[in-house]
Amino acid sequence: MIAIQTEDVDIGQLINAAKGRGVGAIVVFDGIVRDDDICEMELEAYEEVALCELEKIAAEAQVAHHLFSVDIIHRIGRLAVGENILIIVVSAGHRKEAYEGSRDIIEAIKAGVPIWKKELTKDGSRWVPGDHAHGSTKHSP
Amino acid sequence: MTIKVRFFARFRELFGGDIVTAVSPGTSFMGLVKEIAEKNSEGYEAIFDQNGAFREFVILMKNGKRIDCARATEIPVTDGDEIAVFPPVAGG
Repeated sequence: MIAIQTEDVDIGQLINAAKGRGVGAIVVFDGIVRDDDICEMELEAYEEVALCELEKIAAEAQVAHHLFSVDIIHRIGRLAVGENILIIVVSAGHRKEAYEGSRDIIEAIKAGVPIWKKELTKDGSRWVPGDHAHGSTKHSP
Repeated sequence: MTIKVRFFARFRELFGGDIVTAVSPGTSFMGLVKEIAEKNSEGYEAIFDQNGAFREFVILMKNGKRIDCARATEIPVTDGDEIAVFPPVAGG
């Protein structure tokens, strides 16, 4: 399952669906809203492009790491502290492939998928600066 | 020609989300974005530097594909294009 959505997902259900013949390892990444003195977080996406890029990331990871399945669900909209933002569930024959595949997927998402976060505090709001500009140097507005 | 220009994140707050605009044939990617940005001085400064070039952190897309900012003056827009302008991504 590859999705960008406002609703939360049932991670247990994703894990159960990932079990199957030959699966020896399932790795779950659950990125959540951290309590960095914020009240809430707002997420925005260039949805059509972001979804295509998530599908591409999943497909490439599946081939590169011999994964049996990849689920990526990235939430958007307004989220409270502690809520799930991004869930990645990968399955593989062995833990090495599952760990490495999961890691590659989260790094690829952070590097390039057009999604942005705005932290809402009691004093106002601030956009979370991205690390990856169009050039090789790292800047943020 | 009719072009849709989409801004995201902080740029959306400065310019508005989606702008559908009529442009003359031969208009470049850079020319189109500049024409929109010049209507909002704070927005212009967020995207362009003092030399009128795109700031290094600005990311451009044309029909879902990334565009090299250095080539923005050479790339023409064509009827029906969807242009996107946004700051560095911060998903995950």
